[in-house]
Amino acid sequence: MTSLADEIRGYVVAEFLDGEDTADLTAEFDLIDNGVVDSLGVVRIVSHLSRTYAIPIDDIPLTPDNFRSIGAISAFVETTTKTAA
Amino acid sequence: MSLSHGLVHEVGETVPSPRLFDALAAHARRRPDQVALIRGERRMTYRRLVGLAEELAGALDGLGLDRRQPLCVPAHKTPETIALLIGAFRAGYAVLAPSPELGPAARAALAAQARCSRTLTVDDRGVIDTAPVAPDEQAARDFDTADPAAAPLLLTTSGSTGTPKIVPVPGDGFDRFADWATGRFRLTGQDTLLSYAPLNFDLSLLDVWTALRLGARAVLVEQEYSADARHLQDLITRHEVTLVQGVPMLHRLLVQDGAVHPAVRTVVFTGDALPEALLRQLGTACPGARFHNVFGCTETNDSFAYDADPAAAGAQTPIGRPLPGVRALLLDGQGRVLDGPGTGELLVTTPFQTAGYLQRSRNEGVFVAAPDGGGEVFYRTGDLVTRDADGLHWLQGRTDFQVKVRGVRTNVQEVENVLAAHPEVAEAAVVAIPDPEAGYRLHAQVTRRPGTSLTSLRLRSHSAERLPRHAIPSSVHVGDAPLPRTSTGKPDRNLIKAARQKGKPA
Repeated sequence: MTSLADEIRGYVVAEFLDGEDTADLTAEFDLIDNGVVDSLGVVRIVSHLSRTYAIPIDDIPLTPDNFRSIGAISAFVETTTKTAA
Repeated sequence: MSLSHGLVHEVGETVPSPRLFDALAAHARRRPDQVALIRGERRMTYRRLVGLAEELAGALDGLGLDRRQPLCVPAHKTPETIALLIGAFRAGYAVLAPSPELGPAARAALAAQARCSRTLTVDDRGVIDTAPVAPDEQAARDFDTADPAAAPLLLTTSGSTGTPKIVPVPGDGFDRFADWATGRFRLTGQDTLLSYAPLNFDLSLLDVWTALRLGARAVLVEQEYSADARHLQDLITRHEVTLVQGVPMLHRLLVQDGAVHPAVRTVVFTGDALPEALLRQLGTACPGARFHNVFGCTETNDSFAYDADPAAAGAQTPIGRPLPGVRALLLDGQGRVLDGPGTGELLVTTPFQTAGYLQRSRNEGVFVAAPDGGGEVFYRTGDLVTRDADGLHWLQGRTDFQVKVRGVRTNVQEVENVLAAHPEVAEAAVVAIPDPEAGYRLHAQVTRRPGTSLTSLRLRSHSAERLPRHAIPSSVHVGDAPLPRTSTGKPDRNLIKAARQKGKPA
């Protein structure tokens, strides 16, 4: 994983999987279908990304597909910050 | 009774209410350009809605499917899906409308139980896609055949296990409900209703189906925006929404950041207890509104309502009194009917209720003969209710293992059974932890079998295949240590709960 993906992974584990064994948490694991992140969770992720990566909150569409997995979140952050720069 | 204002039609009254399609066709003739449905940037007029429904009904005729078999239409919240349902009713089909979030295995099981012929979806250009349903007479063995003339719409209970119960909604019961709601909430064709709940919930009988019958507008909230306060507030302002209905989570989002909604004149809260502070905030946020605590379930639709006054909010808000035409009985622990004040299990019979689950054996002991010798069929709610000296009713809790997770009734024991069925699980305990946002969240503590390497993520995937999303525990702890026990040897759920609330595994 890239360092960005590691960072995102660290955030997801701390925020949503606290105390759970996450050795098998891959970048593709579906966080939404597997009940790790619900609709309130998506809102928390969005506000975290906005703060941490200085992405204006209006530029973050709340479509769950952007937040479905660690890979998807990393890709979203990467694309968005690149476009802004 | 003080609450029977408005144009309430009592049961048995002979005023005919126009069937839904006739009403829609009349709206399309008289006010063709009136907007019926709004979703995102898209608006669908009554002319287009009825035109599309007719088109889709024609397409269904072309498919030549057996009308004795229902169609399965996953309840995506789009104008086209609503048009497809109307078209299917028009063409003489019953429609099973399961949650679009239900896993493929659970949906296939439901469709087989109801003996559906095909699963249908429709895209935003109105093009139908269909897939066959694998017939399974074994799965359908205990199930009645759906009757499109009596109950064209088949909803399901939220059900915490993989396969929810199928509830046929009677057409005449819906008409009576729409009449009641129209009177009680003083609705007209000028209203705009916010449809917040999923389309497969019984709440849509008011905020989508009654709205359409009236020629009003329904604003469809997309599932993915359901926790976005700014988006919801913006919808209410832009479309001048006049009625909002939902679980307390919706109302919490509506009052966020001191928002004010002057156009809202009816606020309905339902599905869970509304905290006192939130009722007061709602009073400030919706200064022109009346507030109604409405109580009901998929099986009976609404049975109680209470007009709440935010300025006089108390620690608990009562569910009020039975609606006109509803009879409500409280049964004590010995099964005797309580007269006057007291606490007991609530049994109700409503003019809107289903004739029973499609699965015959499920009805036994749930839909029962009137305990006081009346002629009606009563539904045992499983809810513990207190009636006070003034005849007001107060919801106390459940008689079983059910809690509300984000407003959805969830049976903790059934979730536990699903976890325990995993081959690598030695034992599992699921507890409900009170949560300010969700009402309750589920926490699972699991002991894996010796020599296995089960992880919480794999157990989540196992749950996701068998449970609707709200019933997947939000925290899952898997370990090798046995669960803590009570002195009688049962898993000590109180200890597990207390330890979780303190942030440590038990």
